[in-house]
Amino acid sequence: MTTEQNFAEKIPLFISRSNISTELNKTGSWRFVRPKYHEKTAPCSAACPAGEDIARIEMLSSQGRYSEALEIILLENPFPAICGRVCFHTCETACNRSGFDEPIAIHGIERFIGDTAVRDNLTFSLERLPDNGKKICIVGAGPSGLAAAYFLTRLGYSCDVFEAETEPGGILRWGIPRYRLPDAVVNAEVQRIKNLGVKILCNTRATQNFLDEAKDRYHAFFIGCGHGQSLKMNIPGENMALDGLDFLNRMRKEKTESLNNGTAAVIGGGNTAIDVARSLVRLGVKTILVYRRRKQDMPAFEYEVETAVKEGVKIMELFSPSSIAQDGGEYILTLQPMKRSGMETDTGRARVVPDGETTQELRVQRIFTAIGAEPSESWQLASEENAETVNLSHCAFMANNPPFLFGGDLTNPTKSVADAIASGKQSAMALDTFFKKGLNAITNRLNSCLVGNGPALSMERYLDGKRSNRNPDMVSYEDINIDYFSPAPRIKAESLSLNKQMNPFDEIETTFTIRQVMEETRRCFNCGICNACDNCRIFCPEIAVDLQDGQRRINLDYCKGCGICVVECPRNAMALEEEV
Amino acid sequence: MKKVLEGSHAVSEAVRLAKVQVMSAYPITPQTHIVEALSEYCSDGTMNARFLLVESEHSAMAAVIGASSGGARTFTATSSQGLALMHELLHWASAARLPIIMAEVNRALAPGWNIWMDQTDSLAQRDTGWIQLYCEDGQDVFDTTLQAYRLAETINLPVMVVLDAFFLSHTFEPVDVPDQDLVDRFLPPFSPRIELKTSDPFALGQMAPPTVYMEMRHNIQMAMEQVPDIFSRVEQEFAAIFGRSYGPMERVHCDDAQVIMVVTGTAASTCRKVISDLRSQGEKVGMLKLRMFRPFPTDLIREHLGSVQKVAVVDRNFSFGASGIFAQEIRAALCNRNGHPPVFGYITGLGGRDVTPEILAEIYWKTKNSAHPENESVWVGLNE
Repeated sequence: MTTEQNFAEKIPLFISRSNISTELNKTGSWRFVRPKYHEKTAPCSAACPAGEDIARIEMLSSQGRYSEALEIILLENPFPAICGRVCFHTCETACNRSGFDEPIAIHGIERFIGDTAVRDNLTFSLERLPDNGKKICIVGAGPSGLAAAYFLTRLGYSCDVFEAETEPGGILRWGIPRYRLPDAVVNAEVQRIKNLGVKILCNTRATQNFLDEAKDRYHAFFIGCGHGQSLKMNIPGENMALDGLDFLNRMRKEKTESLNNGTAAVIGGGNTAIDVARSLVRLGVKTILVYRRRKQDMPAFEYEVETAVKEGVKIMELFSPSSIAQDGGEYILTLQPMKRSGMETDTGRARVVPDGETTQELRVQRIFTAIGAEPSESWQLASEENAETVNLSHCAFMANNPPFLFGGDLTNPTKSVADAIASGKQSAMALDTFFKKGLNAITNRLNSCLVGNGPALSMERYLDGKRSNRNPDMVSYEDINIDYFSPAPRIKAESLSLNKQMNPFDEIETTFTIRQVMEETRRCFNCGICNACDNCRIFCPEIAVDLQDGQRRINLDYCKGCGICVVECPRNAMALEEEV
Repeated sequence: MKKVLEGSHAVSEAVRLAKVQVMSAYPITPQTHIVEALSEYCSDGTMNARFLLVESEHSAMAAVIGASSGGARTFTATSSQGLALMHELLHWASAARLPIIMAEVNRALAPGWNIWMDQTDSLAQRDTGWIQLYCEDGQDVFDTTLQAYRLAETINLPVMVVLDAFFLSHTFEPVDVPDQDLVDRFLPPFSPRIELKTSDPFALGQMAPPTVYMEMRHNIQMAMEQVPDIFSRVEQEFAAIFGRSYGPMERVHCDDAQVIMVVTGTAASTCRKVISDLRSQGEKVGMLKLRMFRPFPTDLIREHLGSVQKVAVVDRNFSFGASGIFAQEIRAALCNRNGHPPVFGYITGLGGRDVTPEILAEIYWKTKNSAHPENESVWVGLNE
């Protein structure tokens, strides 16, 4: 017999032990703070002019749920494939991951979702209110007009869009060059809007007469025809310069244009000037961009400027054109050197004044101007005298009978595709509120639909959708539990080099592969949303987090309110609140 | 088979042969060699065991508490700061009555940083309910570790096997490492009295209100009181198989001694030589080596020290504001016995300082030549 057998029974062993469940002890009674699942707003989402729920889009994409990701995008933006290409992605500037290593390549993921939706014909379901019998006339099939039609249709209106050009798209088709935005992409996403039942009537130029005549047939008008009239420089010989927008338009229509090599000057510093310069480089023309302020003051998006320089565009900053003269087959552009004399307080750009008397001459074969544009006709602006005009961030609402809304570049402070979409959305919400609750209700109603603390609006919130009650509190980098993340480089889409492209106007940047999307979306913190990582349940010392049918719930009978779940949530999708 | 092993690996070999199932530890000098060898045994398949990697000693103890509650034979090892970090869970392990074995390499506590021999770390844990056994050499370490499993699993209390930093942990000596079948005869597979199983769930360690807590603590003491009896039976069985036994204490030349020096750990080896030299000079000196510190063998202390003329206790530790800890315990054991001898307390060998034959001889002569202790503690060998 072993010692154990001899002694075991004699050794007293009185310990805390029971065969009844410890569930009798409702430790929840000790609690004075309680955790809750509390989704918040990601900074990318608040920075997106279209107010897309980006953290959720990234999460769904990381799980391969592309149809659901598409639906989340389409709640707020009808153009993922377009915006994935041409948006200046303020979301990425706001991305919390910048505090850790590099921001998420949100545009690349959006583009992938947009392209996959088209290529695989992904199905989606979007909430749509029943037909309310009201008809809306939309002038201009550019991004703001198409967006207005898209959102109004979902709110139960029927929309006719009138377009002067031969095909819809506006700046998307006629302004942005094909190497950035191919026709097929525009066609596919415009088709999605047509599929909703929106009628697009091309080759129909709206005029004052047209509008007067249409007033009887429509309940409201949205004017989103953009700026048709290029600004003038008011210098001698200006008529010898070519219009940049016209040039871009011709490039789209005729696919290419033969220019003798040689040198061209492009005057301006906006996105159109950059598009003109990059197009010229593709035609084999040595291109000099002339801008009166400094390079960093250019209104063009920084990435576009950098790419233009990489592609060979020379930039002459702090030069203002003072005259153009012809000399044989060439032009002499006389330039006045400028210097900084201070800063503009409203724009943050340098204020410039002439620097001395000595001018410079630039001898070139062609001169293009792209210094901005303005409305081509007076009816394209909201009447200042009308007392019933409400000026919103992205549109002006004129409460005539019938009401007129002005949007897109006509009203937007930032001329971008994303802001045009924001304008269409804001107009749709404002008009719907007007019809349902009157003019005075518009501001409050729109304020209740802000993403975070604005300025972006959420159509999902307007429609009281599933995620409409998310908290406006924004997740900051400090709120992220970075112990759960490892540094990983931002994925870059492959970019074709200019001289290796088959056709110089082929699209230059490629779409992410699935593998790249997987890697990039896994980098996302998913700020403020639950991605079912299960940390709350794993770490709970009381086993007080129940998981049923994929839903987590705090069992308040046992939760002591220790707060470990909240601290261990990597992405700040929980909160502690005091017991009342 | 005799092998030349360092003290650390004497522990590892015993743990291997004990067929421990779950181990967890966090590295700390001078303990690291012990678990280094064991983690290799786990990864190369020599042992069929799990080695749980953890981020601290606190977690290491928590891990073996969990494994032991599940009925596994467990092991951990630590030293100094690591042991201090475990403190909370040392109470848990004993009050949960789990037979966990821990090798504890005596090392000084910081600051200033000191990785060398000092007993204050383990003695500071004397009230945690662990059995403590202090070892003298490599064979003692090996044998004590095996005995610890038998003792712990019988009594349902954890055992700390304590060895001196470097003097023992890093010193190579011949150690008889027996074959597995012999060890199996001495140490059969663990049949736990507490075994959490998912198939038979129950709750452990829950609320103990005032109506039962005191009884639970009394229960631990009742178990402790049975340790001397059970330990002697364990040693008898060990001796029957391996031919060696040690007892809770060892007495050398004590029968006619007028001064008995109380020593622990490797200092006992030095003391044997000093005693032998002093005896050859005609001095009536004896040595009592304490092996078991918890439970404290009060009866044996009274029996063997109660009627000697003088007791000299060598402490390589100190309880600040009081005295050497072994001296305190011996005074406490003797104080209720009429006519007990004066107990001279000596502090020496802290933080790795050598306890030389000269120091031990000095302690003897001081004791012999003083009628009464000049102080509760006399610090020997302090630099001016």
